[in-house]
Amino acid sequence: MSYREKSAWVIAALMAVTGAYYFLIVRAASQALGETAPAAVAIGFVMLVVIGSIAVQVVLALSSPREANAPADERERLVAQRSGNWSGLVLATCAVTALGHFLVRSDGSMLFHLVMGSLIVSQIAEYAFQIFLSRRSV
Amino acid sequence: MGGPPPITNRVRELREAREMSQAALGEAIGVTRQTIIAIEQGRYSPSLESAFRIARIFGVGLEGVFGWEPD
Repeated sequence: MSYREKSAWVIAALMAVTGAYYFLIVRAASQALGETAPAAVAIGFVMLVVIGSIAVQVVLALSSPREANAPADERERLVAQRSGNWSGLVLATCAVTALGHFLVRSDGSMLFHLVMGSLIVSQIAEYAFQIFLSRRSV
Repeated sequence: MGGPPPITNRVRELREAREMSQAALGEAIGVTRQTIIAIEQGRYSPSLESAFRIARIFGVGLEGVFGWEPD
């Protein structure tokens, strides 16, 4: 498994776990307040993602310093471009769905959480596409 | 995406004849070992520049390494 594929697996797992944490804290806060949790609950999630991403990238780089420092080759760049393109479509679809929800419910806090969720889903999708394309013809 | 590209190659055959590892070939042309594996398995057609580099390393012409089989 290449360094970039390994990295994609680890970051995708990190995003899935922190995304689940985000969903749980929004649900718990919303139940406690009796209305949609305010956007501020996202601060903990963002900090967790930033610190977690730095930590796993450092560990990965220390385990394979040569591969970590090497620039992406032509196939890896193509995989990254296609994954980015496809995950952009996922983001657009989720964002339009979130906007549709806002049109019906006019709940600004929910719009914030749905857009945040769209970002999380599209990031996971991007890494999933990278893993998929790394193993298929490109 | 779709099926494998219609470009065929003899990279594995030429590399093995020279007792060269996939990692060594990848390093020589500036790609990862995984990309060499993908080329050998027909899952990736290299750029023209990489194709020329591969041919030069093996000391043959481009058509000595790569072939094209249109549908």
